[in-house]
Amino acid sequence: MGRDMDFTVIPGRTGRRVIGFWRDVLDFRDFLRSIITSFQSLRYIRLRSLYAIVVNQIRFTGIDALLFVILIALMIGGTVIIQASTNLPRFGIEGFLGNILVIIIARELGPLVTALIVISRSGSAMVTEIAVQKWSREILSMEIMGIDTRLYIVIPRVIASILSITSLIVIFDTVAFFGGYLISLTTIYIPADQFLQALLDAFSFKDLVSALIKSFTYGTLIPLIACYYGFLPRSKFEVPVYVSRAVIRTLFLIFVINAFISVIFYF
Amino acid sequence: MAFTKNEIRVGLFIVVPLLILMLAILLKLGYSIAGATMDVYLKTDSITSIKKGTPIRIKGYQIGRVVEIKPVYKPALHFLATMRISRDIELYEDCTAIIQNQNIIGDPTIEFRNPERRGGPLLAGDVIEGIEVVNLEVLLGNVNTLVSNLSSTVSVIKQITVDSRQNLKSLVSNLAGSVSNLNAILTNSQKDLGSILSSFRETAKTMNEISIELKRHPMKFLFSGKKDSTE
Repeated sequence: MGRDMDFTVIPGRTGRRVIGFWRDVLDFRDFLRSIITSFQSLRYIRLRSLYAIVVNQIRFTGIDALLFVILIALMIGGTVIIQASTNLPRFGIEGFLGNILVIIIARELGPLVTALIVISRSGSAMVTEIAVQKWSREILSMEIMGIDTRLYIVIPRVIASILSITSLIVIFDTVAFFGGYLISLTTIYIPADQFLQALLDAFSFKDLVSALIKSFTYGTLIPLIACYYGFLPRSKFEVPVYVSRAVIRTLFLIFVINAFISVIFYF
Repeated sequence: MAFTKNEIRVGLFIVVPLLILMLAILLKLGYSIAGATMDVYLKTDSITSIKKGTPIRIKGYQIGRVVEIKPVYKPALHFLATMRISRDIELYEDCTAIIQNQNIIGDPTIEFRNPERRGGPLLAGDVIEGIEVVNLEVLLGNVNTLVSNLSSTVSVIKQITVDSRQNLKSLVSNLAGSVSNLNAILTNSQKDLGSILSSFRETAKTMNEISIELKRHPMKFLFSGKKDSTE
């Protein structure tokens, strides 16, 4: 009997996980479908109330995170510029400073670090907020009043996240380039015009489109996953579990999508 | 319509990055926010020839001036001269900037030359490597070095000549000895020549006697020896 258990434990657990994952995927698909169908009730809702939610959400996701994003961008930009400008001449490729900066900061680090900040700050907050609303029966009350909660809660957050992440990525890249340049002046002199020209030469419209697609994808996925997990807890004790699960899965998905978009654009 | 503080902050948060994005796109498309001139840089190892205000020309026509010269300490000391030039002139990124004098004693000038194969246009902020063609100070320095080298070469040749004089003397005296030896040999040989000649004469005399005898008694001459041998 014990030997039979040994043989079945590993495949049993694997199968349970796969089925569980597949069930989550199906649930998420149903959740997305319910959001799409919720657009039908758009005519019954006051746009002014949606506008207020969007503004509040942008303030929380974007403006309140601005200082944190600027500090991280300064540190990352300064580090990358100092490393690049001191190490590239050893290989005789100091002319590629602009290219290195655009590749590292604009293409990859900017969108990724901004998404990580938004996930850890706003994603977890969204899950908690919706879970608490559900636990305190606010969502139930809204449904009783005939308000489509999917439309009222999810859609403004998606719009706010797309706008916030796009703005944060642009600010992150700008601060990383120019703040980093100012920091790097303490160790190496590069003429400002020359630096700006190197950046402009290296920057392409493909980079712009890639950054915009990334910001739109992250801005859509982060609130969707957060709202999905926010609606799941059935008691207040399940809230931390779902918050943690939402953050981890969003992080994983963002890394996968980041790699996928980079492969599509640059390979 | 009054906006709340929150709305204004959110508006700025959306609009400012949008403006930055648009500015980046415009700059990438080649638009500029500057006027009819643009600043390009001239990288040069020394600033002995150029100074603030040095004219910049193309085919002799002045298109701008040097407005600033800044030292760059890393990786090695060199200088970046900011050249403010007119945008109306068509210049290409591979053009050369030749630092030269207007004439043999004239002020220096920077002459732009467009490449034969034209690439992209020269943009504001581009850096051009300066080439010094005629630098009077460097030229005079080189001439001075040449003259000093020539002077040292002449002194070395003079020294060699003084050292060789003694050797030449001994060579001449050795040659004189050799000539006298040759003379002595020739003098000694004259005596021998006389005896050789007299010997030749004796031999000829004998040969004459033999021939006379042969004519007179040929048989006797021929067979006298045989008879003696048979006897």
